[in-house]
Amino acid sequence: MSTETWILLSTGAFSVAFFGYLFGMLAAFHFLAFRRPTVWAVSIAATVLGLAAHLLSIVGRGVAADRIPLGNMYEYSLLLSFLVVLAYLVFVEGLGRVRTVGGFVLGFAVITMAVAVLFLYVGPAPLIPALNSYWRQVHVSSMIVSSSLLALGGVLTILYLVKERRERRRGEPAPIMGGAVSLDDAPPHFEAGADEPPPAAPGARRGLLPRSSTLDRLAYRTIAFGFPIWTFGIITGAIWAESAWGRYWGWDPKETWSFITWTVFAGYLHARATSGWKGRRAAIVALVGFVSLLVTYYAVNLWIVGLHSYAT
Amino acid sequence: MSPTAPVPTLRRSVALVWRSLRSMRTALVLLLLLALAAVAGSLVPQVGVADARIAATFRDHPLRARIFDQLGLFDVYGSWWFTMIYTLLLVSLIACLVPRTRAFVRNLRARPVPARELDAMRHYAELAVGDPPEQALGRARSLLRRRLFRVSGPNGAPTVSADKGLGREGGSLLFHAAFLVLLVGVVLGRGTGFSGQAVIVEGQTWTEAHANYDGTVREGRFFGEDHSGVQVRVEDFRATYRPTGQPRDFVTRATLLDAEGGELERVDIRVNHPAEAEGVKFYQFGYGWAPVIRVEEDGEAIFDGPVVCQQETPPEDVSQLQVPWTCVVKLPSLDPQVGIRFELWPDRRGLLALLETGEAMPMLVEYAPVMTWEAFEGDLRAELVQSVGVLDTSAMRPLDTGVLGAGETVDLRPGLTVGFTDLRQYTVLSVSRDRGLWIVLAAAILILLGLLPALYTSRRKLWVTAEAAGAGTLLKVGGFALQRRSQFEEEFSRLVRDLRRVPEERVGS
Ligand code: HEM
Repeated sequence: MSTETWILLSTGAFSVAFFGYLFGMLAAFHFLAFRRPTVWAVSIAATVLGLAAHLLSIVGRGVAADRIPLGNMYEYSLLLSFLVVLAYLVFVEGLGRVRTVGGFVLGFAVITMAVAVLFLYVGPAPLIPALNSYWRQVHVSSMIVSSSLLALGGVLTILYLVKERRERRRGEPAPIMGGAVSLDDAPPHFEAGADEPPPAAPGARRGLLPRSSTLDRLAYRTIAFGFPIWTFGIITGAIWAESAWGRYWGWDPKETWSFITWTVFAGYLHARATSGWKGRRAAIVALVGFVSLLVTYYAVNLWIVGLHSYAT
Repeated sequence: MSPTAPVPTLRRSVALVWRSLRSMRTALVLLLLLALAAVAGSLVPQVGVADARIAATFRDHPLRARIFDQLGLFDVYGSWWFTMIYTLLLVSLIACLVPRTRAFVRNLRARPVPARELDAMRHYAELAVGDPPEQALGRARSLLRRRLFRVSGPNGAPTVSADKGLGREGGSLLFHAAFLVLLVGVVLGRGTGFSGQAVIVEGQTWTEAHANYDGTVREGRFFGEDHSGVQVRVEDFRATYRPTGQPRDFVTRATLLDAEGGELERVDIRVNHPAEAEGVKFYQFGYGWAPVIRVEEDGEAIFDGPVVCQQETPPEDVSQLQVPWTCVVKLPSLDPQVGIRFELWPDRRGLLALLETGEAMPMLVEYAPVMTWEAFEGDLRAELVQSVGVLDTSAMRPLDTGVLGAGETVDLRPGLTVGFTDLRQYTVLSVSRDRGLWIVLAAAILILLGLLPALYTSRRKLWVTAEAAGAGTLLKVGGFALQRRSQFEEEFSRLVRDLRRVPEERVGS
């Protein structure tokens, strides 16, 4: 097949994926409101179909450009949205068995893809020499994998904050925690169990969303999964910068923002283990991390100039 | 002050500060402050990253620029307050690490002692098994060992104590300690190292020494003036492009020589593939054109050599390859003095296209190169400190202008000729030395290695006691997890189930 055919295939598959997610999102919101299991199944089916088309779109792009499709913002967004949806299917629907947050996650994917075609599209082209490095491939892929996880965590955190507020408004009693725990090796102000959900109302199945404790646990798990990969991404990025420009760290805007995002999420992991910061406050730190992630991802490339800027 | 009130002695205040530095809350606030400072650093242009934008701020908004400058906002990462935040964080980190490490070591040695009755624990089960207490406990012991629990209590003791997941605290300690090592590596490497740029014309040899960087070198705070003296002899430079004008590769072919001139290695330096000699690394950074110009006065050469030309940054819609190269030759020995400004078109068709269509053609290769020139005579004002690439014509008058092709010579004024004898390229190498690199890399790897168990394992403790009950035994199992409690619930019930199951061979015997 010619390059043109592959490009056509890639953009066509992109549209299928986009509308698959859009449909899946609407179905998911319908399910959220009316709870018909068939609608949920339709939503999942549309999402899976979209995901398959999405994969095809990425592969087609790679073949058309004759390289790994990680060369510019359009391609990053393509992979990022793919991974967000994949992570959602695996972690939220699969492992977490939570059925009610799909609409929000798919909404995030739809927006990411819309921004990608509207503002970031460029034709497939070879890379300039500085970008032609294995470390860069490793760096970019791990940044995108972790971005998708951290973004999913961000969406879940927003839902957590919404739900937690509603539960607090209703004044539902905090559950009685069983069996206290001895803290034999804790520093001052330290509470064990960073991954334990903060107290939440038991059996509060009434609302539209899962219980806040469930959302909180899901958010924590996804972020804790994404954080080391982000760390790895920063390290490989530094190795690449070292080989390309002779310095592993130069505080260019992209580097600075990935550092900020890292620091804020490190703050989140801390906050969950700090007395008085568990629950809502920690979630707000994660939300700040989410915003910082979006700035790292979009704003730096589009508005702030640095050595990375030719990647747009 | 009443004599009974606690006197804030120095010791007590130090203890107070130390205690607050150890708190999680302080660490959290400092981490978020660090992020906030970096936000400032990304919004305000920084020295070394965006010098041109700083200069523009000083020109357009002098007051704002002065305030920013006073606050250190143009150099956030070198400012006293940034240094203070991360120093406090480091001190806080050490303050945390010391007691945590001590507690961890204690934990490593200690055996878990049940803090209360087993049946008061979060997870508790009683089960009746057929074998006698001794055997039942032995079975529990080996089951737990198989599940990688750390089992204590000598064989035959009435209680089995077990715990698991020391990797969580151990990993966390490793992570935090490695972070400390990372910063040490950064400060050490930056502090004792240097970085700068070398401009080398094809055929020339450049020596790694302070004076040869033309002021571009930045040396660390603890730099010991120990430049290497390594020499780089540039054989040639080659830039290749795709038909679209997109660069494909930049290669400097060079020979590295030691300080005494002994040949070390022949190397190809290209983007992403630096060369190294004696700890100094050379990276492909840029390139340009250097016409060889020969000026003769009455048949005698008064200037003969390559002149490094620079390019201006073009407006948005013009490719850098369409822009001509400019350079200057100054002849202070003449009377009156003469200065010549050249504009070089390495590909003649670039200039021709500009003249015909008003738009230059991208110049990818050397093709019948041509220079336009503009000569001035008068006073060069050499007593003022001036850049070699700038000609100050305020005290000069125009002498002549013209066009000069490669291999041609023109007369400037009687007895004075200028020749364009050859066209060469120069390469710009970024040169640096960082001795902390390996420390930083090792620390980064340790950070990752520590992070994984710290985030994904959990600390669990478990006790089993046995009481004779009739022919068999009543086993009591109690335990809890400090993290990931919902997961432990499953693990606990699986353990209890497996304890209940008497191994096949025992049943047979
Ligand atoms: C240099 C800045 C610091 C960074 C980047 C950082 C980062 C992190 C990260 C990513 C975690 C989660 C992974 C783990 O459990 O190891 C963590 C946990 C922890 N940090 Fe830090 N930290 C810093 C400073 C400190 C300081 C100063 C303290 C002292 C209060 C501290 C105490 C802790 C504790 C006790 C945990 C374990 C929390 C848990 O069990 O989940 N950290 N830190």
